[in-house]
Amino acid sequence: MSQSSLRNSPPFSPMDGGEVAEIMGSRFGIPPEAFEGVSFFLRGRNVWAFSLPQVPDLDFEAVGLRFLSVRGRIPKPTTYALQLFGGFATKNAVDLSIEEARVFIAGERQQLSAPVEDGYVVVSHGGDVLGCGLYSRGELISQLPKERRIEEKEIESFREGCGR
Amino acid sequence: MDGLERYAGVIPEFDRFVEAIYRPLPATARINTLKTDRDRLLCRLEGGGVACRPFAWYPSGIRLQTEKPGNLVENLMGHIHLQEEISMVSPVVLDPRPGERVLDLCAAPGSKTTQIAMMMENRGLLVANDPANGRVASLRSNCEKAGAINVAVTRYDGRRFPAQKFDRVLVDGPCTGQGMARKDQKVLGRWSLKRSLGLQRLQAALLKRGVEVAKPGGTVVYSTCTFAPEENEGVVSRVLDQVRGLSLQEVSVPNLKGSPGLSIWGGSLFGDEMKRCARYYPHKNDTGGFFVAKLVKE
Repeated sequence: MSQSSLRNSPPFSPMDGGEVAEIMGSRFGIPPEAFEGVSFFLRGRNVWAFSLPQVPDLDFEAVGLRFLSVRGRIPKPTTYALQLFGGFATKNAVDLSIEEARVFIAGERQQLSAPVEDGYVVVSHGGDVLGCGLYSRGELISQLPKERRIEEKEIESFREGCGR
Repeated sequence: MDGLERYAGVIPEFDRFVEAIYRPLPATARINTLKTDRDRLLCRLEGGGVACRPFAWYPSGIRLQTEKPGNLVENLMGHIHLQEEISMVSPVVLDPRPGERVLDLCAAPGSKTTQIAMMMENRGLLVANDPANGRVASLRSNCEKAGAINVAVTRYDGRRFPAQKFDRVLVDGPCTGQGMARKDQKVLGRWSLKRSLGLQRLQAALLKRGVEVAKPGGTVVYSTCTFAPEENEGVVSRVLDQVRGLSLQEVSVPNLKGSPGLSIWGGSLFGDEMKRCARYYPHKNDTGGFFVAKLVKE
């Protein structure tokens, strides 16, 4: 087979799922039941979410979904983790107006007055999660990966959401 | 006529087929039920002024009336995955269930992988394999966007995939891609009999390995997006000859018009059982072209 890029990478080590649920619970108020049936693994400075408690006995490139980056002082949830679980958030979550959502989708920063603490927040529009934002001193900074951003003028057919 | 004239005797309503193959494909997408539900998604799109119509044969598939579906916010959120209609058929035939162990042997870029992950409701194990380094990046990116947590990505040469036991295996092999002509006309110019025959060896080796790593009673689906019998019935009959204890099952998807596989082609006699395979032609359902075979291991 072709040489695996993982051969020299750190292994996936199982984590205490309660610990990860606690991080998501204390920051976003996501109940631990949201992660029922999900196992977590640490590789390097990333936490991965996977459907099984053991990784398969194969030489793999990735298992499951990159869930949290623990590189910085504060764990940073990935866009895809929040798109999947952010709907359960009860705090540190902002639902943007359509104009604000367009700025976020374009990857920009904007002034925003919101009842959230400084740090990472779940960003949604019309009840559907767009991704992760960094809220700091009245400013919301989009954390969308560059390859997912859409320039404001390019956004297609975006009007009101459907509510929850 | 770009290598299609050889099919004049086997493709029904051949004039309509040729006419269809030079028309562009309609924009289609799959609703990703790992992240949204169908009613909510349809409501969102309609609210945004995007006309959409579910497929008659598959409730998660929709046709969209929009200029740039890639720039829809629903795409950014992973609520839809842009995918050609007919490519959704092989996971439907595979019919994976939540909690099973499934292998997608030739997975990149991951449209069918993410469809399988969704059908498995993010439970069990789906191994998505592809040897090509560059293609694995798009596979991983599509799995992340889909919110698939039950996928393990591997990069083995599929012909030598390690010994494992899977409930279901999809072998969506590399092919000459004639069925993709409506997306990219250049595929027709690149076709040659030599290429089809060269690929046949690889496809048969992949399918054979797929069968070997299926557990007894397991299902193996073989699919391609080409019309060339050398890469379709030719591959299936070769593997049926080589491997004992395999049965070929009827492929039939309600409300999707399929044509039976070919029992004979040129000098090759594939046998009547090959009619259980399904061929999908562009003029029948206004889609791309496709071939699907379903094997069950004793």
